[in-house]
Amino acid sequence: MSASTQNRKQRVLLVDSDHRTNSRLAELLREDGFDVDVARDGAAAIALLARAPLPDVLVTELKVRHADGVAVARFARAQRPDLPVVVVTGHPHLLRPGALGSGPAPVVLTKPCDYGELLSALTEPGSQPAPMRASAHAGH
Amino acid sequence: MSTETRFQEIKRYVRLDERDAQLLRDFGVLAAPELGRIALEFYDRIREHEDANAVFTGEEQIQRLQRSLVAWLTRVCSGVYDEAYHEQTSIIGRVHVRIGLPQRYMLTAMALIRVSLLRIADEKLGAGAAATREAIVRILDLELAVMLEAYKDSYVERLEQAVRTVPDSQNPGPMPGRRRYVNADEITGTMIVGLDREARICLFNSEAERVTSYARDEVLGLSFLEALGVDDEQLAQAVRSGLGGVSSTQILEACIRTRSGKQRDVIWNLAAAIDGQAHEVVLVAGGRDVTDDKARDERSRQNEKMAAIGTLAAGLAHEIRNPLNGAQLHVAFLERAIKRKGDQQEMLEATRVVGDEIKRLALLVTEFLDFARPKPPELKPTSLFKCLEHAAGLVATDAQAASVKLVSDPPSSDVEFPADFAKLTQVLLNLLNNAVEATGAAGGGTVVLRGRRGPRQLFIDVEDDGPGLPSPEAPIFDAFYSTKEGGTGLGLAISHRIVTDHRGTIDVSSRPGKTSFRITLPLEQRTGTAT
Repeated sequence: MSASTQNRKQRVLLVDSDHRTNSRLAELLREDGFDVDVARDGAAAIALLARAPLPDVLVTELKVRHADGVAVARFARAQRPDLPVVVVTGHPHLLRPGALGSGPAPVVLTKPCDYGELLSALTEPGSQPAPMRASAHAGH
Repeated sequence: MSTETRFQEIKRYVRLDERDAQLLRDFGVLAAPELGRIALEFYDRIREHEDANAVFTGEEQIQRLQRSLVAWLTRVCSGVYDEAYHEQTSIIGRVHVRIGLPQRYMLTAMALIRVSLLRIADEKLGAGAAATREAIVRILDLELAVMLEAYKDSYVERLEQAVRTVPDSQNPGPMPGRRRYVNADEITGTMIVGLDREARICLFNSEAERVTSYARDEVLGLSFLEALGVDDEQLAQAVRSGLGGVSSTQILEACIRTRSGKQRDVIWNLAAAIDGQAHEVVLVAGGRDVTDDKARDERSRQNEKMAAIGTLAAGLAHEIRNPLNGAQLHVAFLERAIKRKGDQQEMLEATRVVGDEIKRLALLVTEFLDFARPKPPELKPTSLFKCLEHAAGLVATDAQAASVKLVSDPPSSDVEFPADFAKLTQVLLNLLNNAVEATGAAGGGTVVLRGRRGPRQLFIDVEDDGPGLPSPEAPIFDAFYSTKEGGTGLGLAISHRIVTDHRGTIDVSSRPGKTSFRITLPLEQRTGTAT
């Protein structure tokens, strides 16, 4: 999937309590051809998801206020079971395997997240980028 | 037969003749390539037996002994069996007596050697081996007879000594004062050494024998401080005061030297005895060997430190990731904005540096979490050979680039033990990289990766001949102690924790020219209370 498929831009929903950084990220993504919505907590994210249309990709932190990232992702998957989910978090160990139920496993990126890595995750869904360091450290 | 020497008598009895000498000479040529292997297997076998293993002081000594064994085997097959030969064999026998190797190991060792040599004869000579086999048996039994003479001589000497120290030859029973102590001193787990007026040993209980490896009759009559190699002025002073009638109430810690030269830490308590006639006990020194306790306490302290750091700091580490993320994102934005302004190399370079520093911080956080909130190791049956080979392979290129010679020294047969292969590799890699860097920085050198088996544990050593650690007291296993530029300072702390999780220990000894890390791991994991 590239930023635009069949004359339609891909729509991304970014969920993170760090609004300043999230907004900057949204700017970069818009420059690179995506349509971007931003939510600063879980409740706002779910409200956005309840309103059609659903995004093409959900990018969310795990620790957000009012409803955590897992709840947001599950809500989105309830609407569309194969919705691509990218988790960008400083606490990857909080995501237990199978937490999203059935459907494709989320791509997990550990903060600090390299913009290039995120871009790859959005343009090639289903490809887990190589871990930052030797695999002995995965999961922290 | 008065002109015949003892040796000639034994040769005649065993019927070792010129033909045997010739056969052995020829055999020696055939066997020469195998001798190194025999020596390795021989000493590996000894390591599996606690009492024999206790005599060893370290790898260097064992390697010397292996070379000596090869030299001895060469001599045995030399074909020349004259008085000079006899004298050399006698010396070997006396050396074994002196280091305290129990006699039974001399016999059983000879059995191992005999089998090894006979196998070689069969292999190389096939059907024509019979005569050579006989020659081998004769010469080895001859060797045994000569070496056992040394043990016999030693016993006789000690008996004579014991007889000499009995003051009243008409009263060969235990000395009166001693009788009072005999029962009590044997049931405690404490060393009990009784001293006479001149601070000479006149009482030495079984625990003292066990800790020092000296038999009672070997030390009776000797000066306490000299016999046990005590170099502590405080203890010497306390002994002097004690003999003057002043009981010490201090707890005195002093090192003693055992028979094989090892140092043991002992806590001493001196008490004046009730009667004080000549040759009787006037001062009783009670000693408790605390060497192992001290080592265990040190490891406990280290573990507690780790646990305290762990929970608190792990939370912090996670939180740090958020602002790092924000910073990294904004740097990406800056980079893009600068590129739009055209060629701004210096500015771009600066943003690149910021980006790199952020990545370094991120790495530090991840490593720190690995150290502070580790996942428990998954213990599975692991091959020592595979472990060592894998680790050596991973550092091979770096070693070569740094002009460092990497030497692999595995045991003669593989050992299987419970371990988490990935984590153990992490530890070995850490130690090897450190060793290679230290030696490389000094212009090159040698790093040895060695594996050995003990009675109930295995040892992995990483040794280098680099400049050594800055100071023997340095807390190198503490987090962030590192003196390396560009390092996170967590490598050794993580390694220490991984080894502890395996219920093992990691120890270091260092002097300029020789630094050695030793990992000890149990061969079996017992379920039960955690350390």
